Amino acid sequence: MRKLHAYVFIFPSLFLTLIFSIYPLMWALRFMFYDYQGFGTPVFIGLDNFARVMRDAEFWSSVKNTGIYALGKLIVTIPLSLLLAIILNRSLKGRTFLRAVYYLPTIFSASVMSIVFFIIFNSYNGILNQFLIKYDIISQPISWLGADHAMLTTVIIAIWGAVGNYMLLFLAGLQGIPEDLYEAASLDGAGEYEKLRHVTIPLLGPVMQMIIMLAITISLKGYESIMVLTGGGPYGKTEVMYLYLFKLLFPISPESQTLQQIGYGSAVGFTTALMVGGITVIYFFVSRKLNNIY
Amino acid sequence: MNRVVSGGVVSKSWPAVLGRVILWVFLIVTALVTLFPIIMVFLGSFKTNLEVTAGATLLPESWQFANYAKAWETANFSRFTFNSVFVSVTVTIGMLVVSSMAAYAVDRVQFAGKRIYMGLLASTLFISIGAVVLRPQYDLMVSLGLQKSLLGVIIILISAHATCFFIIIGFFRGIPKDLDEAAYIDGCNFYSVYWRIVLPLLRPALAVAGLGAFQGSWNEYILPLVFTLSNPSLQTLPVGLANLRYGIGAAAETQLMMAGACLSILPLLVVYLFANKSFMQVTVGAVKG
Repeated sequence: MRKLHAYVFIFPSLFLTLIFSIYPLMWALRFMFYDYQGFGTPVFIGLDNFARVMRDAEFWSSVKNTGIYALGKLIVTIPLSLLLAIILNRSLKGRTFLRAVYYLPTIFSASVMSIVFFIIFNSYNGILNQFLIKYDIISQPISWLGADHAMLTTVIIAIWGAVGNYMLLFLAGLQGIPEDLYEAASLDGAGEYEKLRHVTIPLLGPVMQMIIMLAITISLKGYESIMVLTGGGPYGKTEVMYLYLFKLLFPISPESQTLQQIGYGSAVGFTTALMVGGITVIYFFVSRKLNNIY
Repeated sequence: MNRVVSGGVVSKSWPAVLGRVILWVFLIVTALVTLFPIIMVFLGSFKTNLEVTAGATLLPESWQFANYAKAWETANFSRFTFNSVFVSVTVTIGMLVVSSMAAYAVDRVQFAGKRIYMGLLASTLFISIGAVVLRPQYDLMVSLGLQKSLLGVIIILISAHATCFFIIIGFFRGIPKDLDEAAYIDGCNFYSVYWRIVLPLLRPALAVAGLGAFQGSWNEYILPLVFTLSNPSLQTLPVGLANLRYGIGAAAETQLMMAGACLSILPLLVVYLFANKSFMQVTVGAVKG
């Protein structure tokens, strides 16, 4: 009897998951083999969509941009957040307050964050340029969102929004290291640096591996803030994979000249997901080997 | 928590003092860089448009509190706020109900297909092909006639309740099964045990998971954007605010964008200040960054 009740209780969850997560996934998997614009009859074209993905210069340029974006973001975010976590894990005056400050950007929505930074980095009357000009650091306004700097600006904003989050994850990992190990190390005469080198880093290894893996997938998938800030422009300089994909499925941004292509979009989506998954798996195995060296 | 790693030891040697100075300079500079955009926008929201676009001042010359009234009325932020509150509150409640029911059944009863169900739920956490599923989700809502209200957004957001489910089921270990048995002996049934015994004891878990659900739905941008394309009166704060950037003449009213940004941050900021501890718990393992 209780089994029947249990089915009643999981029904809403199961129903929602099947209809709004699993079914859409199957739908997309099916339509990647079709020529379908969102209206009219879908035509089965086999693997043609994938052949087109291979030849699609705009897609590959977005792949390149994603690589630059993710790499630029991670190179700064991971060491910086780890450093902050290590510092703020020690007994330090104002520790709780500082943690809260660094974490603050994480509660911002990607859209609000981008609007705020749009106001700051805007070329003509942006706050940053006004300040730099007022204090004679530069004489001409820098075109932060122009073709030359847009990617850099995007990366800076991403770093600003992410450091607090990873700091917190690292802090959680650091708190899992048993206290006695530090005491034992102290008794053996280890200094600050030795403790970091021989206790903290090795013991944090597995946690660090997972956090970096999470960071890689998140930064490969991020596109909301870029969408609001630059819409992928100028000249597609900041167009990342998932933004390109979004534009194929919902061509709505004022700057977008893409046509709605659902069948092709599904194929691009599948290719993209495969690449993200592939990179994650490769990272996982390489980093596991690195861990073994320790 | 309180780890004493030589930080407590007062050392007077020169390198140590220098080290402390460098450490604090680093911490303070990082904190200032983090806070700068937030302070800038907060102070900017009280400036006149002229001052925002022309002068590089930190404090407003004269405090324009009217910016907020103007954003609230002219830029339609009252509407956006209502929509945001409606979506976030409904999604939070819905998610907690759906996940706590499912978690209760999974934790307390052995039933056929349990593993399959759990696997399915876990897979929705890991398999994500991003925007691709948005299109079928949208079409599905159109065929159900739900794209004309925010109900479509709400249902899709609730359907992504796997994280919430796993947070809650983690807490079930803390609720002894003996309590259920005692309640059964006292004449409770499956439903009244859930309502009278499990839910009240689950309160901390519901708070943590609910906070995450609220933050997530309050900040959601893509889904409400897609669903309000043909109906601007349904826009939520993140969507309405982002649209100001493209709106006609919006570039000329930066101070309203700033006021709007502050309005849309405020509720989360208040929650964050009051629930700092549980907030920190929620986000360990959350998928953002």
